[in-house]
Formats: sequence, C-alpha cells, structure tokens
Amino acid sequence: MDNRIRRIYVPMTESGFYILFCLQRPQHGYGISQQVKQMTGGDLTISAGTMYGTLSKMEKDGLIAFVKEEEKRKLYQITGLGHEILNLELRRIERLYKNSKGENVNE
Amino acid sequence: MNNRKTLIRFFTISDYEDEEIWLRSQHQKGWKLVKMIVPCFYIFESCVPRDVVYRLDYKNNTENHDYFQIFQDYGWEYFARCMGWLYFRKPVSETDTEQDKEIFSDNNSRIDMVNHIVKTRMLPLICIFFCCLLPNFIHSIEEANSFADVLTVIFTVLLLIYLYLFIHCGLKLRKLRQKYSGIK
Repeated sequence: MDNRIRRIYVPMTESGFYILFCLQRPQHGYGISQQVKQMTGGDLTISAGTMYGTLSKMEKDGLIAFVKEEEKRKLYQITGLGHEILNLELRRIERLYKNSKGENVNE
Repeated sequence: MNNRKTLIRFFTISDYEDEEIWLRSQHQKGWKLVKMIVPCFYIFESCVPRDVVYRLDYKNNTENHDYFQIFQDYGWEYFARCMGWLYFRKPVSETDTEQDKEIFSDNNSRIDMVNHIVKTRMLPLICIFFCCLLPNFIHSIEEANSFADVLTVIFTVLLLIYLYLFIHCGLKLRKLRQKYSGIK
C-alpha cells in the first residue's frame, strides 16, 4: 500500500469509516446514509455533498469501485485496497477501545 | 409579466453564505429564484411565501449525473447553475433536523470546497493579474500620447477594482477556512 493513501485514510473520519464499512456490500450514496443513520441511532448523518465528495475521493484512490447502476443510482463496493485500510482502522479502533477499558494490549 | 422581478445584487465567490441567506429571505417574502444572469442579475418568480433553505455548492463542472441523483435522494431540488456554482433548495417543513438543512456534514468537506474555489478561481486570477493586467498597465504609463493617457486611466480603475475584489475574496475565504477549522 502506498504511503500517501495510508497517510490520508489512517486514521479516518467517522463518516469515512462508516461509508467504507457499509460498502462491504454494494450500495449507493443515499442507501449508505440511511444505513449509517440506523447503525448510529440517528447520531451520525452524512449530508449529500459530504457523501458525494467522500465517494468520489475513495473511488479515485481505489478504495471502492463502481459495480453497477440500479435505477439511475451508482452502486459502489469496497476493493482489496479498501479492505486493507478498513482492517488497519478496525485494528486501531479495537486497540483504542481495549486501552480505554484498561485491558492489556499485546501487539 | 408582473409575476417576475429582476434584482441586481453582486456577490463574490466568497459570499456564498450571504447569498444563501438572502435567497431564503426572498422566498419567505414570496419570491423564488428562477435563474441568474452573470454577473449580478437575479430573476425571481412570485410564489407562495415559504421558508425554504438555499444551498450553493461549488463544483466547477466536475459533477456527474450521480451527483444530482444523490442530492435528489436527500430531498434537494436542483434548479439553477451559474459560473461553476450549483443552486439547491429544500423546504424547511421537509427537514427533521438541523443537519437536514445542510449539504455538508463535516468541516473537512467545507474546507475542501473553499480549497477548490481558491485553486480554480483565485489562482487563475493571480495569473491574469501578472501576465495581462499589470504589463498592460506599465506599458500604458510608459507610452506618452493622449490615447495612452486614456488607457492609463481605464487600466488604473480596472486595477483598483481588481485589487479590491481580490483582497476582499482572499481575506473572506481565509476567514471561512478558519471558521470551518474551528480556529476563528
């Protein structure tokens, strides 16, 4: 993985993380926002401009890819590189959580 | 037609937040924006007074059809474009939260937009200034005839307007970026 990508996406913003996480299944922009709302009990909303901007950036950087079009909406899915980033983030967040609980972290 | 009116109002590339507020207040008074004509003509149509949020996004023609689809899915009505800016609106009655009235949900995306404006509008203006306006200005000062004197006056006025606008936009964009970064 190239260092530039790593520098931009690790750590990630909360919106970025949820978008990438949701794209483990093919989904379109508005669909992601609805899913995130549900997952966070309405605490996190991702607005239209932020959604479009994040999707285009992630597509350009190769974290997600266009899969197909459904009812005029573009569906995206995570790529191999996206998975690598997501796993780095998951490990980081897990460590953060364990440390906050005072558990031992042996990494 | 008396159900239309044209207002003249000049907003620079750094005044989009003021423009949004102004357009909202016009709609509250029963005038909805139909289109703009460069540089400062706003054409309104009379309508039922209503509280409608207006939002401007600067894309400089980089948007695609999925962009409009996403905004439509979020309940935004796209109704006009002007000089790289896209105009959206949404009735307040159709929003549940404050966030529903925004097109950006984090400051990173707001800063991205400011940076996009600086890169595609401010930088070309600097180039025009140094490559075109300034050399012509110096050239017209050096020439000594009455035609050149007229040119000098014209260039001086242009140069002053240019400088004023440039400084106004530069400072305001910087302030916006600071506001979004939480420095203020």
